[in-house]
Amino acid sequence: MKRPSTLTAYAFLYLVFLYLPVLFLPLFSFNSGTIVAFPIKGWTLDWYRKLGEQDTLIQALWNSLGVGTVVALLSTAIGLFAARAFVRYRFRGQRAAEGLVMLPLVIPGIIVASSMLVLFLFLGLKPSLLTVVLGHTFLALPFSVSILKSAFDDFDASLEEASYDLGVGVFETFRRVTLPVVSPGIIASMLVTFTVSFDEFVLAFFLSGNQPTLPVYIWSQIRFPAKLPNVLALGSILLLTSVLLLVLAEYFRRRSSASEVR
Amino acid sequence: MTDRNIIELRGVEKRYGTFLAASGINLDLKEGEFFSLLGPSGCGKTTVLRMIAGFQEPTEGTVLIDGQDMEGVPANNRPTNMVFQSYAIFPHLNVGNNVAYGLRGKAPKAEIEQRVAEALEMVELGGLQDRGASELSGGQRQRVALARALIMRPKVLLLDEPLSALDKKLREQMQFEMRNLQQSLGITFVMVTHDQYEAMTMSDRIGVMFNGRLKQVDTPTTLYARPCDQQVASFIGEMNILPAQLLGETDNMLSIDAAAFGRIEIERNPNVATSSKDMNIGIRPEQLEIAAEKPEDYPSTVQGTVSNVAFYGENIHYHIQVEGAEKPISVSVPNYFHTVDFKRGDAVWLGLQGASVIDLGTDTK
Repeated sequence: MKRPSTLTAYAFLYLVFLYLPVLFLPLFSFNSGTIVAFPIKGWTLDWYRKLGEQDTLIQALWNSLGVGTVVALLSTAIGLFAARAFVRYRFRGQRAAEGLVMLPLVIPGIIVASSMLVLFLFLGLKPSLLTVVLGHTFLALPFSVSILKSAFDDFDASLEEASYDLGVGVFETFRRVTLPVVSPGIIASMLVTFTVSFDEFVLAFFLSGNQPTLPVYIWSQIRFPAKLPNVLALGSILLLTSVLLLVLAEYFRRRSSASEVR
Repeated sequence: MTDRNIIELRGVEKRYGTFLAASGINLDLKEGEFFSLLGPSGCGKTTVLRMIAGFQEPTEGTVLIDGQDMEGVPANNRPTNMVFQSYAIFPHLNVGNNVAYGLRGKAPKAEIEQRVAEALEMVELGGLQDRGASELSGGQRQRVALARALIMRPKVLLLDEPLSALDKKLREQMQFEMRNLQQSLGITFVMVTHDQYEAMTMSDRIGVMFNGRLKQVDTPTTLYARPCDQQVASFIGEMNILPAQLLGETDNMLSIDAAAFGRIEIERNPNVATSSKDMNIGIRPEQLEIAAEKPEDYPSTVQGTVSNVAFYGENIHYHIQVEGAEKPISVSVPNYFHTVDFKRGDAVWLGLQGASVIDLGTDTK
């Protein structure tokens, strides 16, 4: 069969357009010159070496790691209960509830960010890592709910019934059957929600106050042309970690579906 | 089997909105009995089983287990255990831990090990404790599910279509094994099935359900010989149902005009009532004689033409078109040294005895 070559070419161009700019980031991070333009002057690892010497950067990294971890735990825990309810039960207002949970995916970030800032100030919460955690949890919830929903979709409801039937109560059943069976989904959800929080800029910019997360720190550094290559090195590392985390998450998500297929 | 009732259902009803899944269910199950709930899919048999197990609460009526009212008692506190249709083997646990699941924390470790070994021995999976759940065949999963339920020493074992996922050979073997297991343990088994042969080969008694109602509860032989209406008659085995005219009756005999078959004396069926002249009769395909010449010794004979032949191995099914009958009459003949062998279009004689005719009356009693 003859392949439609124009379609192949189109798909190829599409991918180049999508990913080539991203690939410039790591490329220039190895450039020894400070100006981000061709031709490349020479190759160096200096920019990476210098990253470790910057205390504010290290502090921002810790902030981001801490926020990401708490967000992953919080949104996955909330998402677990929501997903189980959405899949297992039929109740009034279910569609509306599911729609509401997914809403953060489509609301413009700037709107969410500014209204959250207003809300938190009204409640007397000063912008800090705490408010970033709350904002990011809201943002990460659609991801954890949809990942865990697919984990529960593949979960045979009679497994929980079998546990009750064998004399085990509701909470014990959750711990001994539900959690272990959906655990690949839980891991996938934690990895994805961590990445969502770790890479998020707009909300963090509005809500972090004087405790910047890594993306907010990078933003502040971009204003200084001399530091640009340094930011590129940092960005390349972030890019690589994010991709690795998402690949790992996808691996676990697929395992959660496959385990029930037998 | 004892005379003591282990399960009593009193006017049990389950309603989902306006849909009646089960209604007017009255049933007494004896201790040590193998009981089957038989009916087509969607007839409410699984709903009844799940109300006994405690997964669903009846909207009306009472479920008593061993004399105790089960209202408000959740599944985990009922003296019943269930084998699920999907077997519900815990995928993250090996065979030993699956079987031990319900005993964990409730008995000393050594005793659990001991009982798991015994339970696996009982279902002929001895020594497979360490086998992973994903490495089991369909038949092994079914055995693990049985062992996991029986290790709890339930008063009643509930089985939801336990053999439907197995292939035919294995299914037949498991029918005998489960029957033997039930007999040796003396535990009451309540099985839900849509397979009439499964129900007949395994059960002491069968309850036949249609549209949420329990139509008839009887032994397999009584159900086969004295069905309470046309629906039950044609669901249990094959049945030719023909219209007839009631000519006269005594205490236990009816004199009828069975259309093409003429006038016959038949036994009265105590499970039905006849309130008008127009009634129905049933004739099992294997109860008819088929021959090339007019058969002797039959009070009723009729001539017809073979319209269809189906070879089943152990027997041969013929469809015979008879003058005056709407539908062809099914006849089944054992494939015994090929004593009969008719082709499509052959002219044949059918012979019928009064004792082979089932009175289906006009109404269920």
